[in-house]
Amino acid sequence: MSAIRFDSLVKQYGKQAAVNNLSATIQAGRITGFLGPNGAGKSTSLRCLVGLAKPTSGSAKILDRDYRELENPLTQVGTVLDSRGFHPSLSGRKNLQIVAASAGISDSRVDEVLELVELTQAAKKRMKNYSLGMKQRLSLAGAILGNPQILILDEPANGLDPAGIAWLRKFLRAMADQGKTILVSSHQLAEMQNTVDDVIIINRGQLIASGSIKDVIGEGTLEDAFLRLTEGAN
Amino acid sequence: MLALVKSEWRKLLFVRANWGLLIAATFISALSVAVAPFILDAGEAGALLGLGIDQTAAIDATYANGISGYIFAIILGIMMMAGEFRHGTAVATFLTAPRRGIVLTAKLAVAAIGGLLMMLISTGISLIAGYVVLLGFEDAAQPSENLFVNTMIAAAISGAVLGVIGVAIGTLIRNQMLAIVGALVYLFVVDPLLLALWPDTGQFLPSGLITAMLSIDISAPELGFDTTDYLPALTATLVLLGYGAVFAFIAIATSLRRDID
Repeated sequence: MSAIRFDSLVKQYGKQAAVNNLSATIQAGRITGFLGPNGAGKSTSLRCLVGLAKPTSGSAKILDRDYRELENPLTQVGTVLDSRGFHPSLSGRKNLQIVAASAGISDSRVDEVLELVELTQAAKKRMKNYSLGMKQRLSLAGAILGNPQILILDEPANGLDPAGIAWLRKFLRAMADQGKTILVSSHQLAEMQNTVDDVIIINRGQLIASGSIKDVIGEGTLEDAFLRLTEGAN
Repeated sequence: MLALVKSEWRKLLFVRANWGLLIAATFISALSVAVAPFILDAGEAGALLGLGIDQTAAIDATYANGISGYIFAIILGIMMMAGEFRHGTAVATFLTAPRRGIVLTAKLAVAAIGGLLMMLISTGISLIAGYVVLLGFEDAAQPSENLFVNTMIAAAISGAVLGVIGVAIGTLIRNQMLAIVGALVYLFVVDPLLLALWPDTGQFLPSGLITAMLSIDISAPELGFDTTDYLPALTATLVLLGYGAVFAFIAIATSLRRDID
């Protein structure tokens, strides 16, 4: 069963096509890596998927519906687009309380997710004093506030130190063990190879390869396959 | 909808800068009320206006300064919306509630309440400050009969409408600093200039409408200032509410179309 589906998605900014006729399917209950060089159109595709950007044509649907049509989306889809999204002069806890209120989620759940991402100690600290790793964990806490079945994570490993990456791997595994569908974009190819079940590779807004990681890699590593596929397309 | 209002309310209360705006609004308006009797009594300004502290119109003009904080109501509205784009919180806001029209409606409602409360508090404290200061002037006249009520009503309505207009400006101009500077330039320079040069047209602009809502008559042709020809208070109130409705519509219509960065 597909949880997410891109269907001939096109997003143009002026004459430039950031995403060009992208079609791909993300299976439910699996971790899918969304790979591509910088500027390949990954973030734009994800922004179209969650209703922040309007597709020029085609569609991007979650559970066969536009994100904007989802009832209380936070309880169905958790999203991390970048470490922005929180007010820098408010504490992590207050930032999450604002999000929780808008989705009708209790403040006790806020404390629960802060514990899950190991930020309880820093809950009352202002967000601007957080390290990059703490900001990423706060974003992840926001994504799981509504205990959704689908997680969409754009470069969650960006800027993390090895300890942060190890923590993220553990976190994603724990989420996957709960049967959640995870779509994660990343540049950490070695890390992705150990984490994901399926991959989608795009370049210049177009699909280059998709399928189970074994099928896409063949012989060698994900990095070899990624370089071979994206170079071939250039 | 109620959940979104609760979320916007939390944003209003949690962000310290909003409390700073309330303090600034109260300080500025209380100061301008408290200082006015001394200026009038010193003679020069009073002579220009043809007013002395022993005249009701002078006392009315003194208390009317109590609504000077309305500029902060518009800044509050701008910060509530443009601040979302400045800090990137618009992403979280519209991810939680992707139906943007409903989010904007909740934000406009809370901006209206926030602006209203800010003006009631700052104006109320200013009127008290004016009353206390005027106790020290033995020859001070009494204000007009309905002045306090009219001033508080004008404060409440102007605060609510300007809060709404601020949110609308914030949706149109997402750069917070540019939006605030633009609003200040308009309210401090353009609006008074239009009011002085073309009073027939100017009386339909925000400053003229807010003054008209106070129902005070001050004639100072030397300063290009004559409130006796302003709109009746009720008409001014309705026109100002009309501005609020138009700006609210613009806010909802524009936010529905543009991509969120």
